[in-house]
Order: sequence, then C-alpha cells, then structure tokens
Amino acid sequence: MGTRERRVRSNESDRELSQLFSAAHEKLSGVVNRGMVGVALAAVGGFGRGELTPGSDLDILILHTDQYSENELLAFVNALLYPIWDGTTSNASVPRTVDHAVRTPTQTRDVAKSDLKVAMGLLDIRFICGDSDLVSKVGENALHTWRKESGNRLAELRKMLAERHERAGELAYLLEPDLKEARGGLRDITALRAIARSGAIEIPLERISNAESSLSNIREALHIQSGRSRDRLLFQEQDKVASALGYKDADELMGVVAQSAREIDYLMQSTWHRLDHRSSKGKDVWLWRKAKSLIVGRGIGVANQELVIDPDAIRRDDPVLGLRAAAKAAQLGIHLSMESCVQLAEGLREGIGAMPDPWPREAREDLVSLIGAGSTMIHVWEALDQEGIISSWLPEWSAVRSLPQRNFLHRHTVDRHMVETAVHAASLARNVHRPDLLLVAALFHDIGKGEREDHSHRGARLIEPLARRIGFSEPDVATLKILVEQHLLLAATATRRDLNDPATITSVLAHIPDLQTLELLHTLSIADGEATGSAAWSNWKATLVADLVARTRAAMTGTTVAPQPELTHEQRAFAEVASLRVEVVVRDNEYALEVISPDRPGLLSIVAGVLNLARLDVKSARTKSHGPSAVMTWIVSLDPNAPIPTAEKIHGDIQAALAGHGDLAKRIQERVRAYSQLPSIPVPPPVVQVVRGASSECTVIEVRSHDQPGLLFRIGDAVTRCRVDIRSAIVTTLGAEAIDTLYITEISAGPLSEIRAQEVVERLKGALL
Amino acid sequence: MKLITAILKPFKLDEVKNALQAHGVTGMTVSEASGFGRQGGHTEVYRGAEYTVDLIPKVRLEVLVDDAEAESVIGVIIKAASTGSIGDGKVWSTPVDQVVRVRTGERGPDAI
Repeated sequence: MGTRERRVRSNESDRELSQLFSAAHEKLSGVVNRGMVGVALAAVGGFGRGELTPGSDLDILILHTDQYSENELLAFVNALLYPIWDGTTSNASVPRTVDHAVRTPTQTRDVAKSDLKVAMGLLDIRFICGDSDLVSKVGENALHTWRKESGNRLAELRKMLAERHERAGELAYLLEPDLKEARGGLRDITALRAIARSGAIEIPLERISNAESSLSNIREALHIQSGRSRDRLLFQEQDKVASALGYKDADELMGVVAQSAREIDYLMQSTWHRLDHRSSKGKDVWLWRKAKSLIVGRGIGVANQELVIDPDAIRRDDPVLGLRAAAKAAQLGIHLSMESCVQLAEGLREGIGAMPDPWPREAREDLVSLIGAGSTMIHVWEALDQEGIISSWLPEWSAVRSLPQRNFLHRHTVDRHMVETAVHAASLARNVHRPDLLLVAALFHDIGKGEREDHSHRGARLIEPLARRIGFSEPDVATLKILVEQHLLLAATATRRDLNDPATITSVLAHIPDLQTLELLHTLSIADGEATGSAAWSNWKATLVADLVARTRAAMTGTTVAPQPELTHEQRAFAEVASLRVEVVVRDNEYALEVISPDRPGLLSIVAGVLNLARLDVKSARTKSHGPSAVMTWIVSLDPNAPIPTAEKIHGDIQAALAGHGDLAKRIQERVRAYSQLPSIPVPPPVVQVVRGASSECTVIEVRSHDQPGLLFRIGDAVTRCRVDIRSAIVTTLGAEAIDTLYITEISAGPLSEIRAQEVVERLKGALL
Repeated sequence: MKLITAILKPFKLDEVKNALQAHGVTGMTVSEASGFGRQGGHTEVYRGAEYTVDLIPKVRLEVLVDDAEAESVIGVIIKAASTGSIGDGKVWSTPVDQVVRVRTGERGPDAI
C-alpha cells in the first residue's frame, strides 16, 4: 500500500480505458471516418491526480466537439463503459464504478460555472487518450476561470466546507471518522490544493505531505481490508487496518489519523485567516514593519489581525517571548502568525530562546494568561503545538499528543481534552480564589495517560517536577499534585458512596486538606466533566457532586479569605511620622514599590491611578492603614516603551495627584479608551461578594474579575464614592485574572451594616461593567 | 413476563448490579433519574444562603424477567438496595405483553 501502488492502479486503469476507447472509437470511425480528432477521454478529480484506491470511482470526462450525432455518441459511450460495468475488463484491479460525464468544452464550462465540485474536479484534469488538444484547452480554460473568479469561488468553497464539516465532524476526534469527508480529511487537502491553484495566496502544501500520504494509505488499507469503498473507519476495521499498515495497534493508527487531521486542519484554518487578512505583500519582515505601529508587548505587535513577533527579538534569546506572544494573542482573541511560530521553532531548534529551569515568573504568568483566555486559546495552542513549541516548553506534552481515547465517554484525544478542560475552567475561574492553579491543573490533569498505570497516580508523579519547573512555590506544587491525583475523587465518590454515611465525608477529607483545595477540585471536576461530554457529565451528576462538596465543606474549618497584611517594625515607625515616602526596588523584569503616605479617603485609587498613568501594570498590592498613614507595597511590571520608574518621579506624581493637580480620572479614561481599540475576548462577568464572618472589625468584600487597564483605580474610586474607608487591601493578579480582597470600615470605624455593604457591592459591580 | 423497575440511590447501583448478576440476570438497563418521594427533597445551606434541592438524583434500573422469576428478582434488588434510611427508593413490576430480540427475531421468554 502506498502512493506507488495507487499510481500503478491508476496507470493500469489508464491502459485499460485506452484500449476500450480505441475499440469504441474504431466502431465510431466505422460509421464516420474522422480519425482521433474531436473526441477525447480525460481523468478528473482523484483519478486525475493519478491516485486510485481499490474503492475509488473512475472519475472520467468524455469530451467531444459536437460533430457526432446523439446515437453515435451513445453507441461510443456504451462500447467504452459496458465492459467496465460488466466486469469483463482484462485487469481485475480496475475499479468497476465509473463516474462519467459526456460534454462539449462549452457544456463543461457551463456546468463548472454552476457546480463547484465540477469546477474543482477540472483543476486536476488529465489526458488519457484521444484528442489531446481538446483536453488541454478545457484544462487551461478551467484554471483560467478558477483564477479569474477566485473571489466568489473561494467564498463558495468555504461555505461548502463548513457545511461538510458540520455534517461529518472532526477527523481528529471522532471514534469512527470518515477519512475523506470529515474536517481535516482528504477532501480538505483537495480544497487546499484548489485554493493554492487560484493564486490568491501561497500555501505551504509541503507541510501536509506526510499527513496526506498517511491518510491516503489508511484509506487504501481500509478499502482492501473491508472489501468496500466506504471511507468511514469503523471500530471493527481499526485493528485490521492497523495491522495491515504495520502499526503497533489501533491506538497508534488513530493517533496518526488525529495528528494528520490536525496538521491539515491547522493549515486550512491558517489559510482562511490569511485570505481574510491578506496584505498586498505578506512576508514576515514586512508584517513586522506593519506590526510595529501597534506594539502590544516587548517584541510583539499586531498586523493583519494577527499577533506578529519581531524577527530580531527572536534572535535575542528571550525565553519568555513566545509565551508572551501566545498569551497576548489569546487574550486579544487573535491568531498567532504562522511565520512567527515557524521562526520561534527554528530558534528553539538552534537553542535560542530555550526556557530555563525554573521558568521566570513572567513566563508562568503568561502561561496562565494563555490558558485562561478561554476558547480563543485553542487556535494559539494548536499553532504552537504544530510547530513543536509546546513540546519544547513542556516535554511531558509529547507523550499525550494526539493520543486517542477509544471509549464512548470521550470526544477528544487526550491533549485536546486537556485543552478543552482548560477552556471550561477559564469560564469557571470566578468560582475559585486561585484561578492559576485551577487552569494549570485543568491543562495537565490527564498528563499521566498513555501507560497501563492508573493515570491519576502517574499524573501526580509527573505534575510535581513540572509544576516546580514552571516556577510554582512548594505549597502550590503540593496543591497541584492533589488536584491531578484526585481529579476523579468527587465524581466517583458522589456517585458510588452513601453521602449520608459520615465515613464517606471522612474519606474525602483525608485527601483534601483545606477549603481552597476543595473549591479548586470541585471546579476542576465540573470543567473536566463538561469538556468530556454529555456521556460523562449531566445535571444529575453535577447535583450529586455539589451535594458531596457541600457536606465536605460543612465538615471543614478555616477560610479562603486572604488575611490582612502584616507590617514590619520599620514600616510602622515611618507610618507614624505621616509623610510621603516612595522606594523602588528592581526585581528581574518587575519593580517593587513601597509607598507610605498620610491616609485619606481615595488614597488607593489615587496611587493606582498614578501607577497606571506611569504605564506600570500592577501585579500585586498589599495596603494597610497604620496610625495616620497607609503602608502600600506594590509589585508592578513595565509596559513596552514605558520609561523606567524612579522613586523621585513616582513621589512627585503622587504628591501632585494628592494635591488635586491634573484630572486623574479623565487621563485614565483616555488611556482605557486607547486600549479599547484593541480586539478583546468575551470573559465571565465579575464577581463581587461580601464574605460574612471573616473579620469582626471590618466588612470583607471580594472582587474577582478579568484584569483590565485601570481596574484598581476604578475599584478604589467606587469604594471611595460610598464614603467608606479601606483599612486593608490585598490585590493579586494571576495570569489575566485579578482577585482583590478589601477590608472596609465606616469612616467612623466599625464594619458596615448589611445595607451599606450591599450598597458598596452594587457600586463596585457598576464600576466593573 | 414482567418489567421490573427499581429507583435506587446511585451509590447502591454497583451492589444491586452484582447481586442481580449473581442471581443469573444477564441484562438490564440503567439510566440517570431525578425525583422525590416521601422524603420530599431537602434543604441545603450554601455560603449562608438556603436553597432547596427539589429533585434528588437517583438511578433507574429496568430488568425484563419471566413471570416465575419476578418475585425473587424483586427480593434480590430490595436486599441489595436497602440501607434502612429514608430515600432508599422503590421497586415495582409491570406485566409485559411481548418481547422481541431485534437481532434474531426471537419472541417471548426466549428473547429475555
């Protein structure tokens, strides 16, 4: 089985058809002796490309110039085709099913105009015998028309593909896929070739030559093994096809199918994207020149609705560059340029930009931002994966890449299932206090699959060094290990154990140390279930799991609320002096700022606003009032092209803002407006809630929201407008998620009444929408 | 012939299934179900707010048996499913006119 055999089969069919054609033509010439002029036999479609599997149709076109009568033609066609239909041909390997048409060149042109499939089939027209001029003219005309009308025809083709994909599903993920019709299947390769021949865009078809030959071989083996012309790779045929092609087992076969389909589909999606946003040129250097006018991070910009990486920056050995670009692309909801991915991968192969161990903090945050972007991250992840960049960053990923899960519960391969789980987890990020741990656990929860050992146990062993390398702290590594090891615990316990039995709750408590882990595990179970599909997750199961979680929570003590920050002796001493002091310490790519200032309503939003205007992104903040002052520690990172912050500059800016100089709110609004020009992705709505019983002196309000420019300024401003005092604030940014805990009192001290607290909540919700 | 339908607590399914298999029952249909009986749903407290769980998740199990087997199969289900507490479920049987095995066309008790 292979291209050679398919070509031999095609050549044999050519020979057979030529003999039949000559014999039929002799009869025709017996009536009117006009030589071989004015009639020809051509192959179109797959036969035109010289590729014939045992189950293929013989797609042929009988061309004539209208010089024969209808009866003459009928006799000729019958003499040509009946021996094939009757199976009386000399060669048994010639297919018996013929898809034929008898047309003049004009008729051919007219039919092609109204039938896209005919137009595409003609792009592969190949002369078999008869009048060769006739065939070449029809071929030239078909290609000329295809190129001339490419605008309309490609739109038509896209619609046809979308309908077919909807009908046939995705080749990479179906348990019994159709090798030809499904998304990423052989028909898509024909479509890609047709797009390339339109001249509208260059397509690197060589990227999918291995995928094409794998799928063609599998289809050929399927036809031979099943003895039928069906292209659907049924469960019962998979073992036989795998063994005929020398694969270890059906799993390996389906892995190859999935991988090939993904390569084809990725090229197809990138092709449509590039067609939609094509420029007059389109080379990478030119693209970067364009992207320079819309810089969105260090070494990255946006051009033609794609995120483009500065080719020079790639050579500069910046290990975070790729993840920064990926995170930004996903958060903006745009594609990552294929050229940039290729260059990144080339750099990595040469050892440029390799990720150190452990990863820098920025890389970890970018990974969390990338996987937290929801469905827009799938294409970015796929682009990185296709170039082998994911495996370079995360070698553990290679073992689960396109790994099939041949059971009725699952819809996707292992790697895609984990990506889908992360997408579901992103939409549930507001349910937890540590969205970063949720997202990373979702992305790796099945990393242990592929071996005989229990995948949860194996996964727990793999996640430990992986999480450490990504740069998580030891307590976080321990939590991630629990999440991976126990990701089936809640669903299994809820459906198989008696929830009324105290021993059931005790057994769950033995694995889950605290409320935060319970909250994470519960959300992970939901994300995993939803991503698996309706066979694995239903309202029925969700209710049982929620019941178990509620009972477990009731048996736990502790809180998930961030505690108020502690001050050092020196900070307390200076706070009592009540004058403004600013210190800046550089830490890697970040800056630690300490601001001690005389306290006053609105201080938090003023300082947050000053930092925002200095183009400093707040990563985290801790503020606490002490005596007449507030002590604030901020960790910030620098926007691209922003000047390096100095203590004097920040001191001056805060002093001016405190004195009421410059309209802070207006200037921030302008900055936010500039950001809103960029594309954005849909995110879950913010969560603002009062945490009851967390403090006796203060009312505690938690705000969980997608990070956005000026967020903290708006939160501080909304609270100030309610005429209440922020005693402490703990602000954390985890990837693209912000979690703020506010300890609030009345100006006159003491916690807020229920009504006042609700007023603050509503004001905050209004400010965040 | 009888169709025996049982509504059970989900965690009891494995036990009932094993008991039925040990008793010689070779086929059954299991589906997820929700409902309430005398226990009438229950009230939960989540983050300080009370909410009522109207419908409680249950498992619905169906077995086709010959008339002579019906009583003993019901007995097996009840024995395996019982915890003695409220919400253990119910078992009932309904007469069945005809059963046909689709593959072979066998009818009646032969098709069970």
